[in-house]
This record gives sequence, C-alpha cells and structure tokens, in this order.
Amino acid sequence: MTTKKVIAVVFGGRSVEHDVSVLTGLQFIEALDPSRYEGLPVYVDPLGQWWTGEALVKRSLYPVDSVKQKKLTQLTLDLAAPANNGPRFLTFQKGLMGEKRGEIYFDLIVPALHGSNGEDGTLQGLLEFAGIPYAGCRTLGAAATMNKVFAKKIARSDDIKVLPDLVLKRPETGKFVDPESLEAALTDAFGAANYPYIVKPCNLGSSIGVSKAVDLDALVAALMTVFRLDSEALIEPFVANLCEYNIAVRRGESGRAVSSAIERPLRDTDLLDFKTKYLAGGKAGGPKLKSGPSEGMVSLNRSLNPAELSDSQERFIRSSAEQLFELTSLAGSVRVDFLCDSKTGELWLNEVNSIPGSFAYFLWEAAATPLSFLALTSLIIEEGFALSTARLGATDTASGGANLFAQA
Amino acid sequence: MIQPSHQRWHSQDTGAGSPSMLWLHGWGHDLQAFKRIADLFNGIGRHRVFDLPGFGKTPMLFEGASSMDYAEALAKQLDSDGEPHIIVGHSYGSRVAIQFAARYPEMVKAIILISGAGLPRRRSIFFKARAFALKMMGRAARLLDRLFKTQFRQAYITRFGSADYKAAGPLRATLVSAVTENLSSQAKQVKCPVLLIYGSADMETPIEVGLRYEQLIPIARFVELKGYDHHDILARGAYQCEAQIKSFLRDIENG
Repeated sequence: MTTKKVIAVVFGGRSVEHDVSVLTGLQFIEALDPSRYEGLPVYVDPLGQWWTGEALVKRSLYPVDSVKQKKLTQLTLDLAAPANNGPRFLTFQKGLMGEKRGEIYFDLIVPALHGSNGEDGTLQGLLEFAGIPYAGCRTLGAAATMNKVFAKKIARSDDIKVLPDLVLKRPETGKFVDPESLEAALTDAFGAANYPYIVKPCNLGSSIGVSKAVDLDALVAALMTVFRLDSEALIEPFVANLCEYNIAVRRGESGRAVSSAIERPLRDTDLLDFKTKYLAGGKAGGPKLKSGPSEGMVSLNRSLNPAELSDSQERFIRSSAEQLFELTSLAGSVRVDFLCDSKTGELWLNEVNSIPGSFAYFLWEAAATPLSFLALTSLIIEEGFALSTARLGATDTASGGANLFAQA
Repeated sequence: MIQPSHQRWHSQDTGAGSPSMLWLHGWGHDLQAFKRIADLFNGIGRHRVFDLPGFGKTPMLFEGASSMDYAEALAKQLDSDGEPHIIVGHSYGSRVAIQFAARYPEMVKAIILISGAGLPRRRSIFFKARAFALKMMGRAARLLDRLFKTQFRQAYITRFGSADYKAAGPLRATLVSAVTENLSSQAKQVKCPVLLIYGSADMETPIEVGLRYEQLIPIARFVELKGYDHHDILARGAYQCEAQIKSFLRDIENG
C-alpha cells in the first residue's frame, strides 16, 4: 500500500471573509478522496496565528476563543523546506516541563482563504518563496484577479465586455471626499453624472462593502464606507434590471479551460450583498456553522442552468470566462461573475474569484458532464503538485552557473 | 381495496440501466435523507430512493409491522426476475436491507449499510439495571391505569420515553419491535458482499455494532469514518460515503 499524501487545508485567515473561509476549508477536507489523501486542517485565526487539531473539523468550535484554543495545537510554517526533506509545520504546546516542540510533515497546501491575505497571491508568494507545493492559482493570477480594476483592464485588453469605471484613492488622513472634484471626475469618466452608481472596494470579494448610490450625498457616504475597508474604491454605473450569472472554470484534462454549469443567484434585494450571499435562510449576525455541506455559498438560493439564457448569451459567458482564465493563467476552480440587464439581455464580465466560496463545487456537480466535489478535490490537488513541480525545478545557484563564491 | 403490503411505495426514480440501486432511509426520515448522497451517483445506473411505509408519502403497513414485514413489502415493489439490486440502507433502512438480503439472496447483488442498526448494543450492568427498573415502572403504570383509570402511563412516557418513541404515533409498535430485535442470524445468512460504514462519533449505532456485523456477515468490509455521527454522516459525510461506496462497487465488478 502506498502512503497517503497529507494535504494541509488552510482556512480562516485575516480577512473579512474569515467565517466563510472556515466553511470552504472544512468542506474541502470532507470531500478528500480517503484512498489517496489525508486531510490536515490548518486554521488561521483573525490575529494570524496558525492552529491545527482534530477539534477544528467541528463547526461548533467556531468562533475560537481562548478556552477553545486549548483543544488545538499552535504551529508555524517552516520556510526551510529544502533543508528538511520536504515541507513541514513546527508545533509547540505548553506543558508542565516548558514548551514541547514537534513537527508535522505534509505534502501540499490548499489555500482555502477568501479575500485579502490568502486569495490575493500573498500566501501563494510565500509558499513559492519557501518551495512548498500548493494548489490553485499561482501568485500572478491570484494577485491580478483580486484587484477588480486590474482584472477589468486585462479583460478590456482582450475585448471582453466590462462596465466603464472610475477609480478613486482613499483621501489623506483627516480629509474627506470632496464632492466638487468627485462630480468632475464622474463627468470625466462617464460623460455626465448619471445616477445611480455602484460603489465597491477594489480588492475585496463576497460583495462586502458594495453599495448603491442614488445621488451625490449617498455616493460620498458609500465611498467613506469603502475607504474603511480598502484604499481604493471602484465606481461603476448601476445596471438596470440587474441579474447576475456565475460560472466556474478549471483546466480540463485536455489542457484547455473548461467551464461548469451557470447559476443565477436568486434574491430580493437590489444587490447581492454579503448578508444575502452567506446568511441566506439564517439570521443576520453570524453565518450558520452548525449544519452539513448545505452552507455558505451552497445554501444560497439559486437557479442552475437558467432557462432564460439564450445560446449567444451562454456562449458569451462561457467564452469570456474561459478566455480570462487563460489570460491571467489561473488554476484550481475559479468562479467568474457576470452582470446582466435582464430586459436588454446585455452582459458584462464583473469579477473573478480565484478561491470561490465552497470552491464552487455545486456548479461542477450541475455541469453537463457532472463532476463530484470528491473528484474535483483530487483534480485541484494533482494540478497543484504538477504546477509546483514545473516551477520548482532546479533553482540553486550552481545550476545557473551564477556562483560567485568559490566552492571549497 | 389494496392490501397495505401491496401498496406502491412513494419513491424518487432517476437514471436507467445497470446497476439498480435502492435507497432505504432511517427511522423518522424520508427519502430526502439521501438527497445529497444519491445525487452523487447521478449518471451511474438506475436509482430508486424510497419513502419507507409510515414515512414521507408512503402509507404505513399495519400496526406492529416488523423489519421483516418491511422486507417482504419491499420484495413486492420489485421485479422478481429482474437484475439483482444494490441496496443502501441508513439506520433502520439497514435492518430492512439485512432482512431482505437474508430472505431473497437471488434479488440482491450487494448491500451497503450506513450507520446500520439491528444488533443489540453492549451495555453496562448499570445501564441494564436502570433499563430493567424503568421497564417495570412502565408496566406498573399501565397496570395502575387499567385498575384505577389513572394517567400514569402517559406521564411515564413523557418523562422517560425517547424522542423517537414519543414521535412514533401509530408506528410505535414497529419501533418497539425494532429496538428489541436482533438480526444476528439473518446477518449470517447474507450471501452477497456487504459494505459497513460507521461514524466514529455515532452514539446511536456506534462502530461496535458495525464491527460485530463484520464478524457475522460472511463477505463484509467495515469502514470507520472519523468524526461523523449518526446523522451528519449523510450530510457533511456524503463525499466520504461516496468514495467508500464507489470503491466497493468497483471491487465487486472486478470480482
């Protein structure tokens, strides 16, 4: 019998989407093929401390307080993987005889973090630096798609339709948004000020901080909200009769990008904000952490493969999503979101999530060729190994003939 | 009038061809219990997810029907000369599956028990003594009620009855027969391969039950899923069950 690969799934994190990430991470562990992999839950708390322990798989553990931390083992990532025969964590536990140190070897990290400090290329960069194999998008793709403005620029460069926009930087400390220069900027960007507008943070996912502004006062207020979360704000025209479509993309066995089923999230409010997205069916105040896999993005009401989409609309969604996946060299299971005016049928690419909630597995299970989450986790993991091996190769100085110091 | 045992069971039927898989849910559930797992087998053969009699939309059999009667009624739902079936049972559904496989070996290709019930659990002396005392108390309450028209029995049930017992309604006699039955001899007669899946955190049908089934059933594979309990094994445990069932089915196909 071959030994199982240890897959460290990292979730939680220093992000406003911390709680959603916990669900995504646990769901991934529960969908690992038991004949090939062993899951190692690694929880990053809001202070950036890393923990492991069997107790992590129970949803009732969250939120983790100082009492519950006693059930866990704190660990750090050892960055000297090449010196230690492979990647490992160092653990320490306080005992009667002082601190007890240990090590946990693993084979690959699956980042299951949403939003800043995890989905944005930062963790990926750290792992590349340390030579640790990991799954999903590489640094470049993760960083490029996290920034909504940058992602739209790339899309425009390849003639993928996106909304016009105006980007504003956070005013200096102590200063407010100046309404007059704001109006001038609006006229510059959109011709004439034409309310309502949608205001979003540049770098956050999950629709956090997104709001609609019907006039100048509301716009200033919306900008202030965004600047508490992000240093840059994105203003876009409001799409009338708005409906949204999401699709997931991954690299298929043939080497080409393939796309999943399309979903239309169902909701009553104007915007799919964080509450509707993740607290659907539950009380506002905290995500439901009690039940099974029907949670997070999964418990949102949705229409899968909606009948109202025409062939040409579906083609646009599929081809633009796959095109952007290639343009930004993405990997893993990513979700691309589109905006649509349901009266005119006009569509715009909205944003890309390089680590979508629940890895968008429900879109793959509903695809024309259904792919179970169980199979999806294996594909994501094996792709991660392949990508990391391809990059790592030989990187020591001697192999490039760049040694300056004479070897004795 | 249709005989209750000939009544068609309500079911959700999907797919076509081979293999034919039958899904039997547990006590207090209906076919929705298998929604997640059964969906993961879309595209693989034909599936019938049943509402067992007395649950969901299938009317009950008769008062006091045992798991054997359920198995007999299941046989009437099926084509006797058709392809043998793969039966997946959760909890009470597992009792029906064992009874059916023991009685109709030619109609069963394999059975899969998830948190399967049917063997008495090992109990401590303290537990047994307490159970005996409670049983006597219940009988005394019933006797007093009959003699003096008191309401002790109802008070006894409210105080000591299990949630299932209280909710059982007309199925109460069936539940009582299930709780006290022992399927050891039926398990020994099962000829087909059996997959036993148990959650390590299951308090209702602990892994001990599965390990004893493994010893009794001639061709059995036991799998323990770490951290899952009697119910969430069907929800968040769906993929682990899927993986185990699929590899079991592959192994059967390859002999």
